[in-house]
Amino acid sequence: MDPLIKSAKEGDHLAFAMLFKENYPFLVKYLMKITMNPDMAEELAQETMAKCIQKIHLYNGQSKFSTWLISIATNAYIDQCRKQKRENQWKGQEEVFRKLKWHFESRNEEWNDALEALGKLPVDVRVPIVLKHYYGYSYDEIGAWMKISSGTVKSRVHNGILAVRRELKLGEETESRHTRQRTTK
Amino acid sequence: MKKQKVVILDNEQQNNHDLDAIHELQDGLSKVDQFPVYTPDLQWFENMVIIEKENNRKKLRKELSLFLIIALFILSGIIVSFYQLPFVFLFIQIITPVFIVFYTIMGSRKKVKINE
Repeated sequence: MDPLIKSAKEGDHLAFAMLFKENYPFLVKYLMKITMNPDMAEELAQETMAKCIQKIHLYNGQSKFSTWLISIATNAYIDQCRKQKRENQWKGQEEVFRKLKWHFESRNEEWNDALEALGKLPVDVRVPIVLKHYYGYSYDEIGAWMKISSGTVKSRVHNGILAVRRELKLGEETESRHTRQRTTK
Repeated sequence: MKKQKVVILDNEQQNNHDLDAIHELQDGLSKVDQFPVYTPDLQWFENMVIIEKENNRKKLRKELSLFLIIALFILSGIIVSFYQLPFVFLFIQIITPVFIVFYTIMGSRKKVKINE
């Protein structure tokens, strides 16, 4: 195990601080991708760090520290969404990633249509897509973090990609040809 | 045989479209990675750790004292019933294990049903 993590487990404040400082940009950027909201990403990053301090005794060093942070952050985000849903304070998806879009535009970056399509997907589909196709985690790992079966993760990722394809109008011609063929049969 | 070939080609095409969508997604997400994220200094993180640890300690103390108060309350109730109302004490002593056994059996039955 990393000596920094070992010291943090033994209660060293500075070791904890160094670990967090090292992983903070990675954590915020991950949260930005799944929340599509830079403010919420920073808020959740702090919540994740607080949970990490509480649960550091459970970290066994089998996975990378950043992977462990991702699993905690994913749970924190899903919990928050559930709470917000319960409180009926969920703002429209449009509003959720408006600020991220603004960030793109302010840096003269072209806003990616796929990202817009991803932002329109529900949280329980968006999160596994990012974890699978950007970070390369396995269906089993994602399922364990989201507390769902790996089969459910697989189908959510598949349906999500189909939705993105539909939004990007990828393969529409082939699909319409298929339906035409089916109807003529 | 011919039919099968067509199906394989269609699947390939579908997979290619999936890959195109995945590539576009990866492209967009990698742009998010290029955003500069403001990282506070080490002092800020250290303060956060200290405050959070103190909060956790307070929370633990609060929960522990609540647990002890409830435990003391239950225990004193049992002692009082033992000396003042022995029948009530006996009733509690009998009903508690019976309830635990019943609850465990019901729980395991439910699990078996789910697995079936």
